[in-house]
Amino acid sequence: MEANTAFILAVSLPLLVSPIIYLVGRLAERNNPKIDLARWLALITLLADGYFLYIAGQAFITTRHDLLATVGTISLRLDGISLLLATVVLVLGTLVTLFSGPAVRHESGREMYFALLTAMIGTMIGLGAADDLFNLWVWFECMALCSYMLVAFHHHEAPALEAGVKYLVQSALGTVLVLLGIGLVFASTGSLDLDEIRMVAQPSTMLLGAGALFVIGFGVKSALVPLHTWLPDAHSQAPSGISAMLSGVVIEAGLVAMLRSLGALHLVTVSWGALLLGFAAINMLVGNLMALRQTQVKRLLAYSSLSHMGYILLGVGAGALMGEQYAAAGGFFHILTHAMMKGSAFLAAGAFLYCLHQTNGNHDPLVVDDLNGASRKYPLAAFAFSVAVLGLGGLPPLAGFMSKWQIFVGGFQTGNGWIMALVVFAGLNSVLSLGYYAPLVNRLYRNQPSEIVERGQPIPGLMALPLMVLTLGVVVLGFWPTLANWITNPAAQSLLMLFGG
Amino acid sequence: MAETLILLTIGLPWLGALLTWAAGDTHPWLQHTLAVIFSVASGIAALLLIPFGKNQVLVTLPVGGAFGDFTFSPDGLGVFLVAVATVIGSLAVIFSVDYMRGEAQLGRYYAFVLFFIGAMVGLVLTTNLLLMFVFWEITALTSYALISFHNDDPKAVAGGIKALIITQFGGLGLLIGALVLFSHTGSYDILTFINNPAVLPAGALAWMAFGCLAAAAAKSAQFPFQTWLPDAMEAPTPISALIHAATMVNAGVYLLARFFPAFEGVPGWREAVMAIGLLSALMAALMAMVATDLKRVLAYSTVSQLGYMVYAVGAGGVFASQFHLLSHSVFKALLFLSAGAIIHAVGTRDMRDMGGLGRKMPFVRLVFIIGALALAGLPILNGFWSKELILEAGLEHGNPLWMLIIMLIVSGLTAFYTFRMVWLVFYGQPRTELHAHDAGSAMKVALAPLALGTVTTWLLAGSFSRLLSESLPAHEMETYSTAYILLEVLTAPVTLLALLVIGLGLLAWWQREWLAGAGKALAGLKNLASSSFGFEGINRGVVLGTQLSAEKLRDTQTGALNWNVAYLLIALILVLAVLALGVG
Amino acid sequence: MTVSLPTVVVIIVLGLIGIGIYALLTTRHLIKVIVALQLLVKGAMLGLVLAGHLTGQQDLGQSLAITVIIADTIVAVIGMALAVQVRRVIGTLDLRSLTSLRR
Repeated sequence: MEANTAFILAVSLPLLVSPIIYLVGRLAERNNPKIDLARWLALITLLADGYFLYIAGQAFITTRHDLLATVGTISLRLDGISLLLATVVLVLGTLVTLFSGPAVRHESGREMYFALLTAMIGTMIGLGAADDLFNLWVWFECMALCSYMLVAFHHHEAPALEAGVKYLVQSALGTVLVLLGIGLVFASTGSLDLDEIRMVAQPSTMLLGAGALFVIGFGVKSALVPLHTWLPDAHSQAPSGISAMLSGVVIEAGLVAMLRSLGALHLVTVSWGALLLGFAAINMLVGNLMALRQTQVKRLLAYSSLSHMGYILLGVGAGALMGEQYAAAGGFFHILTHAMMKGSAFLAAGAFLYCLHQTNGNHDPLVVDDLNGASRKYPLAAFAFSVAVLGLGGLPPLAGFMSKWQIFVGGFQTGNGWIMALVVFAGLNSVLSLGYYAPLVNRLYRNQPSEIVERGQPIPGLMALPLMVLTLGVVVLGFWPTLANWITNPAAQSLLMLFGG
Repeated sequence: MAETLILLTIGLPWLGALLTWAAGDTHPWLQHTLAVIFSVASGIAALLLIPFGKNQVLVTLPVGGAFGDFTFSPDGLGVFLVAVATVIGSLAVIFSVDYMRGEAQLGRYYAFVLFFIGAMVGLVLTTNLLLMFVFWEITALTSYALISFHNDDPKAVAGGIKALIITQFGGLGLLIGALVLFSHTGSYDILTFINNPAVLPAGALAWMAFGCLAAAAAKSAQFPFQTWLPDAMEAPTPISALIHAATMVNAGVYLLARFFPAFEGVPGWREAVMAIGLLSALMAALMAMVATDLKRVLAYSTVSQLGYMVYAVGAGGVFASQFHLLSHSVFKALLFLSAGAIIHAVGTRDMRDMGGLGRKMPFVRLVFIIGALALAGLPILNGFWSKELILEAGLEHGNPLWMLIIMLIVSGLTAFYTFRMVWLVFYGQPRTELHAHDAGSAMKVALAPLALGTVTTWLLAGSFSRLLSESLPAHEMETYSTAYILLEVLTAPVTLLALLVIGLGLLAWWQREWLAGAGKALAGLKNLASSSFGFEGINRGVVLGTQLSAEKLRDTQTGALNWNVAYLLIALILVLAVLALGVG
Repeated sequence: MTVSLPTVVVIIVLGLIGIGIYALLTTRHLIKVIVALQLLVKGAMLGLVLAGHLTGQQDLGQSLAITVIIADTIVAVIGMALAVQVRRVIGTLDLRSLTSLRR
């Protein structure tokens, strides 16, 4: 198959199939609710999409030339960043789809769930590949629309609704700001094509303002502190599979959108990278402190996403500001490992929530005390959860250590005193984060299970499978970090091209 | 051959860890057996590796990029610590067969012990500084997991997390060191760096030297990080013997010794190392004199003895420090394991509840006293020779005399608390009704070789000297024969002085009732020592401060949509302001 | 005094955005929040049309506006659906009763 065709198919397939999933699922629901047709259709779609992406990615990796494609007025570009985002999204999305089968089995509207999940995956792949500022906004808005509905999936529960409302309002405000920024860029450059804007954008107040609007607008989605206030609510109230997606890829997709738009304005000021580094410091500290005293598991994980966004920002910020390849590659590596670790952590938390609460008809949030002694009954989920959170805390031999390390190496390679201080600060934050990760692990391995654990139901096999895959990935990348180089290095090169190449 | 042995000493324990874990807690005997087989096998591989000790990279895993190539080299410093780690490791595992019998979650226990042994081997054999940091952190991880093995006990959990966080905090120093090295040379290779430290500019070298010192102090529980080790005593006793006495805590001393040729020229570094060792030795010895928990006394004595080794490195006596490390590993493992046998038998760690146990546990009394005499530094046990070598090193290279005098005084204090401990446990009248029994057979199998080692390892001085001097060219050590070293020690005036001080310490314990009157004057010091010189307070303050600020910060998450929107607008204004000022 | 058309439009854009943001900051009624969001989007959309006009690409500006209208309508519909659900489940549209998730 021709690489360009494969690329177009990879972007469009999930979006095209999404309505079909809904319709087929709806019909199947009426005839035979036992067969969960929507889920299998979604899974097949994602696997097929993975095949197309593989072909397109292969062509990009071997030729090292961006793939360009145009469908109508939509122009797409497959470069290192889009390939990385698409790969991470697809892998995590497939695993979440697998996990969600049993998780939403007894919920009404599950065909809607799978249709939206597939569509959201498609929009994120599209977002990564957008080559036009307005297209970027449209992809971003579509992704947001899917995620609003998924966050408020439990629409008969007050907390989920509350989270959905806050998410929608703040995110919509963010998209308005982006739109204003686009207006400013359009007015002063007369173009919406990212490459053309790159050529003509010169320092000006209007473009500076546009950049600020992009930072804040996209920053809402990528959870920069203090724009993060929707995140702990949405991540903790969404179905666990969706929490994994939100934390593992959606906020990172927001960051990619921000990088693309700022990259187009890279001649306007050199401050973009410094700005990202500033947010990196705030995000790491605030995220960790907010998580330190949390008692709800999913809320704790949500706050930890803030601090991990800080590490990613440190990597890409140093890459953008100083043109440092290792830092940028480390940032993208951390996007990958964070998606695996946080995905695994949220899915494991979801498995516990499912087995300990939901199957017993209880809609309370999962609190840390519920996990006491969980390893006695759920050795596998407990192990996956422990590996995930210890990896997030940056302990070797787990992937999180290696990606943080690469970021740190990049930071020191810049030779810039401020960035080196920031690296040390990031290291301190890792130590601080163990203050809430480690006690979680201790709880799991208590000898005396909590009452709730003793009453818990067994974990369905399809829920356990994604956990095992992610755990294996976290360990393997921890032992052999350069296995991810084939995807992180091109992404880093694309970022460096974006900011000054 | 040597390549295979290197891979085996790391790989065997790790494979064993996987297998014991996979065996499942429903088959405890299979787990015991597997753990013993794999730890002993790695011990044998390590002993076979010793003759291959040379300064050359033998194993290379080409990883590259920001991580460098993962390389291993079996030089003298490495192979000797590998032997210590694996041999004492396997003895601790054998001991555990009795000690941990009937415990739940044995798989987790053995998996982490074996994982630790492999990581410790990797730590001392690798020549890639990043990889060393990786192993360094893995040992911290396993140490944390094993300290809080009894997760239901809040004290064990707190102790584990404290150890993890403090050692990680210090570990940042090593992180900085590795990053500095890589950013200046593009490589993590330790051997090249040590042979030519001038590749780093003076400023960077100083950062690296003091960073490594901080990491070493945290790992070896030295001033000002010493507080984690006493709390780590919540671990099962074989773990205290293996990780918190014989191996992991030595990693700090190893790090300093390894990099000594590169750092000795850094202004102030040697003095700082000596000062840290001295302060740790002195403070811990004072605390050991007033502690009543048997394992805590041993923990303080570990800090104190590690202080000797750190002091020795600073004083330029790398050989002395490593020789004392060897002696200390053997006799302290012996002491801890015998203490484990006692605690296992009587069910308490409080020495005030013991007394008169000697009659019921003759074997344990015998081996414990051998270990105790070595700790006190009495001839002819191994602790005597190595401690005297350290004191001699303190005289050389124009080191300050007042430091040596304090170290001499500390050896008197050591003798005092050692005799106090032996007396409280084994002699006098039983203070409570305790049902004691002598050690089990597996325990005896583990204790006997250690007791034998305590009596004999000093005979290895000559071969040890040859091993180190031949494979560590950068350290510029000379080779001495055993006879020369022994004669040197015996004829040195400082030895006589030390024996005199030790005798005084003994006498002080003998005449403790008479001294009690004079002791009033020392009451202030005693109070200070039992409150750990305020360091526990500092720790608590930091923890409480962090928690308080975290609680306060949580109030900013108001949950009100209007406020959330306001934050967004404030951020927008701030970003605009920053851009207007032009940063970057 | 003559005021050019672009100036008028800019003033309208700023006015819409100002009103929208003021409403978002002060209102306590969920429906009003959604209305405020609508005002904001309309302001931004007008800005796009103006930008198209200024750069001589009216067609492009207008097609952008239409796309924005579509996306924006979906947001409004989802917002309204959520509001209906909030009224049903929680029983009020007052934002003060939507503060259970905090800290």
